[in-house]
Amino acid sequence: MQNNLSGNDPRMVWQSQPREISTMTLEKMIRRRAQELHAKTVRERLGSVAGPVSVIAFSALGIAVGYNPVQRAVFAIAIGWSLAGAYVLNRGMWQGRLAEDAALATGLEFCRREIERGIYIQRRFLLWVFAPIVLAIGALVVPQVGSGFGSGGTIAKMSPFLTLFALWMIGVFVIRRMRSKQLQREIEELNDIESENRS
Amino acid sequence: MELNDSIGATEVTQNRRYSEAAEKYGFALERLGRAYEADPDKRRDLLQEIHFQLWRSLQRFDARCSIRTWVYRIAHNVAASHVIRERRTFSSLVSIEELERLPDNSRFAADDRLNLDRLAELIQKLKPLDRQVIVSYLEDMDAAAIGEITGLSPANVAMRVHRIKNILARRFHGGVGHAE
Repeated sequence: MQNNLSGNDPRMVWQSQPREISTMTLEKMIRRRAQELHAKTVRERLGSVAGPVSVIAFSALGIAVGYNPVQRAVFAIAIGWSLAGAYVLNRGMWQGRLAEDAALATGLEFCRREIERGIYIQRRFLLWVFAPIVLAIGALVVPQVGSGFGSGGTIAKMSPFLTLFALWMIGVFVIRRMRSKQLQREIEELNDIESENRS
Repeated sequence: MELNDSIGATEVTQNRRYSEAAEKYGFALERLGRAYEADPDKRRDLLQEIHFQLWRSLQRFDARCSIRTWVYRIAHNVAASHVIRERRTFSSLVSIEELERLPDNSRFAADDRLNLDRLAELIQKLKPLDRQVIVSYLEDMDAAAIGEITGLSPANVAMRVHRIKNILARRFHGGVGHAE
């Protein structure tokens, strides 16, 4: 550890910081990074299809054991919606890997691109992941609640699940909305910076 | 055969360019990593990602800008992408203007390491674009070079650097003068 070598100039403090020595060669670094990138890609792909796969499995089961044709039709819609969602979201995510022309983009352009990509994914998450999940669960719950409406017993039994489901829906919706607003504010800030640039 | 030779030659050039860039800017990239990631393990990963993307990009280096601008743009863009992805919904980063208004009671310490930690902590509070400006300023770059990397106009860079100097002066000199 160095002691008071740099006076009180922050630039000297910054530039004289100790090195974190790495002995990795170029070949090792590239090989290791390629392996890590591959593993990360597989993980991210699995993560991005986990929601749609769950909806498809759940809905397929609903179609297999269900007796109500309307309920089966809603499950089928949920499957179609999830498949379309998996395609749309994957396309959006993989477009966003560090672009080939990253070195030609200035910081301002790059930040805008990344934030816009975030907004794209946020908006589409609600439409293509969240909505099919709600539809599939709704297709299961609504007929049960409807058939037990007169007795009240079914609703009482289902109330813990319904409460948790409602809380989860509100939570997801609120968090996603907040994140979207935050990203939108950041885009507006970048717009301001760009107009300052022009003035 | 000719195509293979051409691919081989391109890769040799790419590797040579990367080795030269890593040799010349390796330490600066380490410092840049500290500005973007506090956790040492994540920082090592980020640095590796920067080096990997730099090596990958140098295949297409066409001298439209200087190699220094190229290296810093890649590094800042990879790091900005890391910050945007790692950020959680309830965490908030501030702009230089907001940072000016935040209170700070600590004063310059006798130990460089402590001051470095404080400086890194201060930079890590900033939004990616402002981090690019402050890191470039700390690396002794002039307004033109900072503008080329960030895409900000010279007047905008000058205004931000002025604010950075004020913040650093207040926090590292107890409010006396500019951090020059």
